[in-house]
Amino acid sequence: MTEALFAGMDQLFTLSTMVTMLLGVVAGVIASAIPGFTITMAIVLTLPLTFTMEPLQGVATMLAVYVGGYSGGLISAALLGIPGTPSSVATTFDAFPMARSGQPGRALALGIWASFFGALVSAIILIIAAPPLAMIAVKLGAWEYFSLIVFAMTVVASLVGKSMLKGLMTGLLGLFIATVGADPMMGVARFTFDVDLLANGFPFLVVLIGIFAVSQLLQEVEDAEQTKHGKQLIPANVAFKPLDALRETLAHPVNLIRSSLVGVFIGAVPGAGGSIANLLAYDQAKRASKTPEKFGTGAPEGVIASESGNSATSGGGLIPMIALGIPGSAVDAVLMASLMVHGIGIGPRLILDHGDLVYGMFMAMLLAAFMVLVVCLFSMRFFLRVTDVPRSVIVPVVLVCCVVGAFALNNRVTDIYLLLGVGVFGYILSKLDYPLAPLVLGVILGPIAETNLRRALMTDENWTLFFTRPISLTLLILAVVSVAFAIRHRLRQRHATNPA
Amino acid sequence: MSSQASSQQTRSSDRVADTDTRRANALAHLLLNGALLVLFGALFVQAGALPSSMWEPLGAGSFPRLVLAILMLINLGIMAQEWRHYRGAPSAAAGLVKRWLWRHRLALGVLALFALYIVGVPMLGFRLASLTFLILVQLALGVRRPRSLAIAAVIAVTFSFGIDWLFRDVFIISLPRGPFS
Repeated sequence: MTEALFAGMDQLFTLSTMVTMLLGVVAGVIASAIPGFTITMAIVLTLPLTFTMEPLQGVATMLAVYVGGYSGGLISAALLGIPGTPSSVATTFDAFPMARSGQPGRALALGIWASFFGALVSAIILIIAAPPLAMIAVKLGAWEYFSLIVFAMTVVASLVGKSMLKGLMTGLLGLFIATVGADPMMGVARFTFDVDLLANGFPFLVVLIGIFAVSQLLQEVEDAEQTKHGKQLIPANVAFKPLDALRETLAHPVNLIRSSLVGVFIGAVPGAGGSIANLLAYDQAKRASKTPEKFGTGAPEGVIASESGNSATSGGGLIPMIALGIPGSAVDAVLMASLMVHGIGIGPRLILDHGDLVYGMFMAMLLAAFMVLVVCLFSMRFFLRVTDVPRSVIVPVVLVCCVVGAFALNNRVTDIYLLLGVGVFGYILSKLDYPLAPLVLGVILGPIAETNLRRALMTDENWTLFFTRPISLTLLILAVVSVAFAIRHRLRQRHATNPA
Repeated sequence: MSSQASSQQTRSSDRVADTDTRRANALAHLLLNGALLVLFGALFVQAGALPSSMWEPLGAGSFPRLVLAILMLINLGIMAQEWRHYRGAPSAAAGLVKRWLWRHRLALGVLALFALYIVGVPMLGFRLASLTFLILVQLALGVRRPRSLAIAAVIAVTFSFGIDWLFRDVFIISLPRGPFS
């Protein structure tokens, strides 16, 4: 092991690898800061550039984009209220209100440190516990996956908005939207009505951009007077005090470690990834908090939980990929592809046959986490200038970026028509106080939920297995508990406001 | 004293607006959920016609039907809640819709321009459509002074021609070209 570790470090700490990693980090941060330009897209665009590199240099560069991307999503989430990536949805809950209340620098600095510690914890766990954790993750069958998604959906529905019923409705609406297009098991066209626009279904990124970006931007220009007088999105106090934020982040050690562990574990579950991790970490932090009522209004604990949770999935996602050859997410699948391009087989023998490469990847994760921290701390003042830009500029520019993001995803003009439709629908829903995050999560998790439900019943028609398999049962009980807690919390709130 | 009076006046007009919008909001919820209920019902019936498979107990339509059935129940639940609110709230004052439209004129204007832009991208090409959209929206959102107009023009060129160049020559992704490219 030591030999492999040193061999990996020897290959990693070369000037050319460090330079390409640094460029990767910058590219990842910038790419995921642009709404609609996701980590997956950045990684896919990086892949062809790594073909001519040595295997470790190529993978390390892509890992740098990956780790940078998880931190970059924070920027647009905090400053614009638009999650740059699905993994920063929960970041908008508190970082954006914090920024709107005049503390954009604090929101970003807290997020950067939380991201760094999340990535650090996940890299350390990856190095120490990759094989045993992968064995736990692989024990999850179709029943557990389905139950995990039920749990995730109830958590989200109970977490956001004022009404749980509305949260459940938008979550289920997301699940339904995901069923439009080809059926994942048989390929049968569903609900397409022979219309070209619907033939390929609703790509989740188009829904994400439309729901969050378009409807959010329209809300930004609702106040005609403020907009016309060049008012900024965020009050102009752009104080950025990273050391104060470090102290504040470290003042919540339990939250930081718990959220990072949630991120690592969820990341290790194939198909789950950062989009669930940030919401679960946020939920856990809210439940454990002494002041849960402050969540959603700019609570630092919320920012810390979400950002450490999503960044920790980057290391977690590598666990099943390295130990078993199962990618934890779309990004891990692209990473796998980059190794396969170099003729390296992925699977349990990877760590035995290419120990230097695997330990080099572990070290690359650690190095990338430090690079992201340095890049973000030095460049954040530049990103904070976004707050100086008036709405009259930022709104049309981001709308154009949204169109580019939606189109570039599949090079389809129909996707930008969908973007408009989804954006208008999202705007209507947000005007009527329907939470939008569950809808996007539903679209992402819909195909996973359906595939696993059908696969479970294909394996064994006995549906009681969902309740008799221990992990599945635990997840379903947690789903019921999360609903019960949410109802109790809302009843208490109602009682407090109307004691009579 | 005058600020106190004006804040009291604001609070009281807020209360009036709140009462006004409560009934309108409840009506909007009823209409939205009613429309969705009908839509989901029709889709539920359509999902029943999707083929089943001999290899699995659930066919292509089972999962959507499960989701649609729960959605319809939730629609009914929300409608029942909102009906109570609708009945409980006093009638809204005349001209509420007009006032709402006037208050949201900028958002609706930007939305209309955005819709035209989306339709225009495949017809005019990304560069020209984006250039026009960026200039028009910046003007609509209040850019008037010469310096701001110059900045607006630079922004429009950068984010239309610049983005097109970046994607075409660096990322090798061709954005819609249109007849003038």
